[in-house]
Amino acid sequence: MTVSTADEGTRSSGGRLLITLLLPIVLLNVIAFIAPVANLVAMSFREATATGSMKEGVDLATWSSLVADTYYWSMLWRTVWIGALITLITLVLSYPLALFVSRAERAKALLIVLCISPLLISAVVRTYGWMVILGDQGFLQALLRSFNVTPPRLINSQLGVVIGMTEILMPYMILSLLSGFGKLDTTLEQAAETLGAGPLTVFRRIVLPLSMPGVLLGCLLCFVLAVSSFITPKMLGGGRVALLATEIYDQAIVTLNWPVAACLSVLILVVFGTALLFYGQLSKIVE
Amino acid sequence: MYLEVESLEKRYGHFAPSVSDLSFSLGQGELLGLLGPSGCGKTTTLRMISGLVQATSGKIKVGGQDVTGLPTYRRNMGVMFQSYALFPHMTIAENVAFGLQMRKARHADIAKRVESALAMVHLSGVAERKPRELSGGQQQRVALARALVIEPDILLLDEPLSNLDAKLRDNMRGEIRDIQQRLRMTTVFVTHDQTEAMAICDRIIVMNRGKLEQIGTPHDIYENPATPMVAEFVGRINRLEGQWRNDGAVAVGDSLIRAKDDGGTGRVLIMIRPHRIDLSASDAKSAVSPEENAINGTIRHVTYVGDTFQYEVATTGGLLHVEKATSSATDPFQPGDTVTLRWKTRDTLTFSTEVAG
Amino acid sequence: MQNFTRRKVLALGAVGVAMPWVTRASAQERKITVAAYSDIFEDIYKRTVIEPFMKANPGIRVDYMGMPTSAQNLGMLRAQKAAPQIDVCIMDVVVAKAGGDEGIYKPVTAEQLPVMKQLVPAALIEGVPGPAVTFDTIVMMYALSKFPTPPTSWKELWNKQHAGRIAIDAPPNLLGVGLTLIANKLAGGGDYRQSIDKGIQLLGEMAPLVQTWDPKPNPYAAVANGVVDLGIGYNARAQTISKQNADRMAVAMPEEGSIAQINTINLVNGSKQPEAALQFMSYALSAEAQATFTEALYYVPTNKGAAISEEARKKTAATPERMARMIDVDWIEVAKFRDKITEQWRRNVISRS
Repeated sequence: MTVSTADEGTRSSGGRLLITLLLPIVLLNVIAFIAPVANLVAMSFREATATGSMKEGVDLATWSSLVADTYYWSMLWRTVWIGALITLITLVLSYPLALFVSRAERAKALLIVLCISPLLISAVVRTYGWMVILGDQGFLQALLRSFNVTPPRLINSQLGVVIGMTEILMPYMILSLLSGFGKLDTTLEQAAETLGAGPLTVFRRIVLPLSMPGVLLGCLLCFVLAVSSFITPKMLGGGRVALLATEIYDQAIVTLNWPVAACLSVLILVVFGTALLFYGQLSKIVE
Repeated sequence: MYLEVESLEKRYGHFAPSVSDLSFSLGQGELLGLLGPSGCGKTTTLRMISGLVQATSGKIKVGGQDVTGLPTYRRNMGVMFQSYALFPHMTIAENVAFGLQMRKARHADIAKRVESALAMVHLSGVAERKPRELSGGQQQRVALARALVIEPDILLLDEPLSNLDAKLRDNMRGEIRDIQQRLRMTTVFVTHDQTEAMAICDRIIVMNRGKLEQIGTPHDIYENPATPMVAEFVGRINRLEGQWRNDGAVAVGDSLIRAKDDGGTGRVLIMIRPHRIDLSASDAKSAVSPEENAINGTIRHVTYVGDTFQYEVATTGGLLHVEKATSSATDPFQPGDTVTLRWKTRDTLTFSTEVAG
Repeated sequence: MQNFTRRKVLALGAVGVAMPWVTRASAQERKITVAAYSDIFEDIYKRTVIEPFMKANPGIRVDYMGMPTSAQNLGMLRAQKAAPQIDVCIMDVVVAKAGGDEGIYKPVTAEQLPVMKQLVPAALIEGVPGPAVTFDTIVMMYALSKFPTPPTSWKELWNKQHAGRIAIDAPPNLLGVGLTLIANKLAGGGDYRQSIDKGIQLLGEMAPLVQTWDPKPNPYAAVANGVVDLGIGYNARAQTISKQNADRMAVAMPEEGSIAQINTINLVNGSKQPEAALQFMSYALSAEAQATFTEALYYVPTNKGAAISEEARKKTAATPERMARMIDVDWIEVAKFRDKITEQWRRNVISRS
């Protein structure tokens, strides 16, 4: 009896300690995350007049006009598929690199630093770099022309956005993949080989499934970053690539229609939520 | 001969070769142990046979066919790894089925063979579990089943028992031997544990620094070691240094010792296993036969380890270790007791330490 | 008890220390903040208007807050609605109208601001809280190396020689909105309030020649740096940048006329220093300030009395011939269908490039 009472006592004081320890982060989250998001949701239920001024009161007008406009649906679809395409290309380009780095015997730390060193430079600067490389007078166009190839428009187009975003997201993908390659053990690959699996089969049946946690994490991260980034699409898209994030920028900063910007932001949150759900389900499968 | 290894060599860069000038052959159904200290090249040899390591030079033939140039996945060898290397993302059944799938076996056939392979290692109930849900011993059986189900030409076992606790190790050892005998599976077994090798191998190769020291039956290796290294590696042994005399005896300090080999010249290393030496109180007078050595000494130190007493005895020839089985009938000797040590001349191994000539 | 006393003493002490500072500050220096465009505008406005004002009124300190766009300027005040930190905003008339409708700016009258009587009639716009402080026009910028003779017509934008070498800021940017109205006039589209279909169709024919619909960092730099050969922009900035890059870029004011862009000066509702703010606005609209600012940055003044040199006048739209050719636009009306214009561009213009 006495023992159990003592136990109760420690447990409840432990609970109080837990609450005390958690309080700062909970408060921070409420102030820095939940409050702004709540504000955003509230804003989406207001309406702006044609000249940009916001009306008082709460209504569904902005939402209903948005839902009825096929333009936004096609923009949502384009945002999702370009995000997915960028994620896929980033994955395909990063995977061999990450695999090589994770297996490097010498200078592994140096290789990792090299892979993530682009993060030391802001995405804006790197995007300007791509404008120089891909531009009409850029290095790549000149190179292609010297081979008598008439290159497609590499900048101010969807292609430019995909190229720029891919490079910008690669360090994130490589880091995620490296963290996920922990489960890979070369002995497993050798075991598969002794059982008669050729290099391709070893990759398909052993390496790929075991690296799936890293692949999924990297894809989630890159997809979210691709969908939410607006600087690179604006700078390399030349106004031809209208995505949710650039539209939010235009609505909030150029046309001043904050309610529409808020609705679109909520829409992006929904996209992220869906991506997170997919991630959760897929991780359960690969586990 | 079923497996033939000829002048095998492996070099990494400009370092001394990991394995050099290794040749041996192995009959169908034979179990060969590769024994040696860590770094002696035994695992590298195994990996060269499996193809996971490419030989620098030399040949490996299986059933008369040269496989040296074949990649691992074309060699049809069952390998069991020290860490078992079970695929963590597959069930036990999928692990065992993997090799059969690679061989494009029919679906129904695979199921049947997986089932019987698991039955063979007494693991029928765990087919749908994942490796991490199994104990070490169970994982090991799965690894064995996975290596055997493909009906390999040769089974290669890389320190298979080293991750198990002592009791389980003895059981598994017996089981591996049973299955190997039943399937008449030509097997190479790498270990650093001489008891393990002695217990189940038909023949043993002792390796040291990349070279073959001796190949022979466990009895040969133990009773007639070819080199002092082999003698020391396969069990505890006393070593004394002496000088050959013209009459065929060896002078060690003030004592004369007769050996199995009668005669030689120059300096010589004498080796005697501690449990082959008999101890008696020095006042007990008895005749010394020509097949026996007898010298007097004083007990310096006694260690009790349950089944034996381990004595350190100072003799005129030097310090000798002696092991006696414990018995409730006789009292053990105490430090300071003077004793007589006797052993058979045929238990006295000699190794000339000077190059002849 | 003791505790209470000590606290009281401390509080009294704090008041005692603070008081002299408070009174001195309010008696000797009033502080107001003006929010307007950043970059060149900021540099020149500070030099030509704010500093002379402070010299003339030593009791008032004017802080300048540079904002990249008018919309961001309003956005800042929306966030500060309860306690605004800004007193005066200079911004595009469309944004000023939206802010006025939201009650963010307080309408000013000629009684409060007598200088308004000196302004041209077009500077006093119905429904906008403050009067116009600058006029500007939409112009073409061109690369000198590609044009042996200066372009004289907007039709240059349809010249196939410039394929892939044109930069246009598409709507919702107001430059693109303005170009729509110009194109509508070129195409004979009639009253823009009725229909802009012909203008959109004409722009669609230009679309394949356009390199970017969102030149970065801005259309002036794109032409000056040789990224494109032809672009559209606002006169004041274009003139200033072409002066800095005299060997590379020049400005053309097409003969078909152009569209005015209007910046108004507005008093923030809830300003803590409304008198000082009005005093500053009065100076900003004065003939003197308007003239010096125009001399430096080539905006058209709104004060009738502003005396401008002939050289500066040539670089603005303020010459009588040019004024006569201006296309009349009611920006407040246009703002109402800005979304529709943007949508039309996306469907029928940008999609064709």
